[in-house]
Amino acid sequence: MSRVPGKKGPVPGRAGEDDDICPVCKSSRYLNQNMKFLINPECYHKMCESCVDRIFSSGPAPCPVAGCGRTLRKQRFRKQILQDIRIEREVDIRRRVNAVFNRRQEEFETLRDYNNYLEEVEILIFNLINKTDVEETEKKIAAYAADHRSTISRNKALAHEESINITAEAEAQREQARIRRAEDLQEEEDERREREEGKRALVERLANSKGNADAIVQEIERAQVKRSSAKGEKANLERRKENAMATQDPFGVTNGSAGAGFKIAGLKKVVEPEIEKDYDPYGGTALEHEYYVFQDQYEHSWLDKARTNPEITTGGYDVGEYCARAMFEAFAGLGCFIEDELGARNVAVDSGTATAAAAMAAGR
Amino acid sequence: MAVSPLPAQNGTSEIKLSAAKAKSLAVRTGSMSKPGNQGAATAKAKGAELAEQLNEETRQKYVKGKKLGEGTYAIVYLGHLKDDPQSLVAIKKIKVNTEYREGLAMDAVRELKHLQELSHPNIIALHSVFSSRNQNLNLVLEYLPQGDLEMLIRDVEGIRYGAAEVKTWMGMLGRAVWFCHENFVLHRDIKPNNLLIAADGEIKLADFGLARSFSDPYRGMTSQVITRWYRPPELLFGARFYSGTVDVWSMGMVFAELILRRPFAMGTTDINQLELICQNIGTPNEENWPGVTKLEGYVKFDNLNSQPVKGRDFYLGTFGLIGSVGVDLLMAMLTLDPRKRSTARQVLDHKWWATDPRPTAKRDLPRKGGGPAKMGEDLKRRGGEIEDGPGDKVARKLNFAAR
Repeated sequence: MSRVPGKKGPVPGRAGEDDDICPVCKSSRYLNQNMKFLINPECYHKMCESCVDRIFSSGPAPCPVAGCGRTLRKQRFRKQILQDIRIEREVDIRRRVNAVFNRRQEEFETLRDYNNYLEEVEILIFNLINKTDVEETEKKIAAYAADHRSTISRNKALAHEESINITAEAEAQREQARIRRAEDLQEEEDERREREEGKRALVERLANSKGNADAIVQEIERAQVKRSSAKGEKANLERRKENAMATQDPFGVTNGSAGAGFKIAGLKKVVEPEIEKDYDPYGGTALEHEYYVFQDQYEHSWLDKARTNPEITTGGYDVGEYCARAMFEAFAGLGCFIEDELGARNVAVDSGTATAAAAMAAGR
Repeated sequence: MAVSPLPAQNGTSEIKLSAAKAKSLAVRTGSMSKPGNQGAATAKAKGAELAEQLNEETRQKYVKGKKLGEGTYAIVYLGHLKDDPQSLVAIKKIKVNTEYREGLAMDAVRELKHLQELSHPNIIALHSVFSSRNQNLNLVLEYLPQGDLEMLIRDVEGIRYGAAEVKTWMGMLGRAVWFCHENFVLHRDIKPNNLLIAADGEIKLADFGLARSFSDPYRGMTSQVITRWYRPPELLFGARFYSGTVDVWSMGMVFAELILRRPFAMGTTDINQLELICQNIGTPNEENWPGVTKLEGYVKFDNLNSQPVKGRDFYLGTFGLIGSVGVDLLMAMLTLDPRKRSTARQVLDHKWWATDPRPTAKRDLPRKGGGPAKMGEDLKRRGGEIEDGPGDKVARKLNFAAR
């Protein structure tokens, strides 16, 4: 190579030299000006574009770098972003792991829990970077991804939304800055015009009046000072107002559209998307009779009159209700074991529904 | 009326009865088994001592706080557990009544007897009972600070709700009434201001001062129950044999009131109430209610006032909010003949619950927050009263402490 040593810095020069020769085909940038180097996140071996085309166009093939031999696919080749290939790899790993472990702080009860979780994740990342227990770590990640698919996708959507909001916010801020600049320019322009007008007025007055020139100059100057100080105050006031707005702004913005309002929505979603069950008019309480089947009709001569006497039936009196109660009370004591209840007394007295009624009946 | 298992049932004076009752009730909070039920005199004496002790224990468990409200019948305090100031309760102290100087007021007995048997999310919970000095009875009730349903109904400007909310509230009320009836208790005073609202929006049926259990055949009951506006026609006609469907009529009136946002029929007297029912729902006659003319208090309305039973079109016009299926349910609840009226179970089995709109989730219900004072207001009332209405003849004590 006809490179003059010392012209470039030693380190970039070295990198440049490495950059310029494809380790696979040994062709250099000297021969091909448009040479591009690509890497595959499978093994991070660098090679030129033409090598990639040549080797991987007809499907997956082993990496041509000696001693590597991993199967690579053309599709996954991409440009190297960071100069240091190790950092490039670490960034990739982090991105991959964090896409799976994308829990948010608000999902945790305490900050400590969150930090513990972060540490766990960091251990996984460390393992992958340093190639310790890779298989096991990968298994863990895959298992987590499978178990928490819904949470992961939800948090991903949240993060996406958030980033959109952040861009929108930045956009809004830029817009505000632009408006402010335009206003400042306008103000400056106004001031300049006023000053010129004042000067003109002074000249005119000096030309037309016959009074003391010094007095006139002083008078006009005083008026100008007054005006400008008033303006200054006004500007100050406005600035103060703006400042106040600016300090409020984070709240305003977050409460309104972007930050907190959004976060609350995220939290609400975390609370569990409600499963729409059929409405149960009974509210989940079912009263079943365990020991008897209630019949539609109970024959007893004593009841006959209550069934037929219009004086009793017209008001809606229902013998069936009486029978139901009689049956209930007859069987209510069954299945109540006072010994057991004494044992459970301290646990919960008022827990079960209708237990009180049953105990009452049992005590009769 | 079911016999309650009291140790001192007969042969003791009234005063002793009340004392023993209060004590035995206190015992209940500790355990379900009642001492002294064996009947031996020594056991009884021991039981009384034990009861005394348990009563004292229960009383020590609670701290009575600020007075929330006072009526002729009861004083309501805010209280909490001694160990946990966060666990708020309402303590309803029954006043020693002038009418029942020698015993307990009927209302208190009824309330106790039935509340301690009923444990349901839509029925106010009775945590425990104890007696304080002078044998005053104290009921420790669930603390419900969100006011009552009446406040929500009346606040036409501030609170807006639709069919879904009405469905939720009616569902809760329906469950409460169904549960009462399933346990053979007639509430007999269902109205919006007896429907208190818990912190989570749940409706709780309160005030069992007029409740009783289903009667035995041939055993008449009084017809002077249920606040007039919600009283069914059979009670207005003086029927002494009735069933759970009296509560269903009240439910129907509450249902109508939820939609109209005013009571459906506001009678000033019992006769006036009947007239309003005749006009708004239909005049009872032998055709739509066989045997009605034989009822004790039957009043004949001349032909001028008599109206045929209102059809579906009328209900659809007035109560369109709940849709045609909902109107069917309302009509079934406001049927004149109690035998044809829906039972509480039939109400819950109605297909309206399954139709759109879906009932609002509890947390999304509109709320107003009546605050503690409102609960005091609601609990101190005696059953069957209309607040400051013509039926309220008892002079109420002025309470300068309550704001």
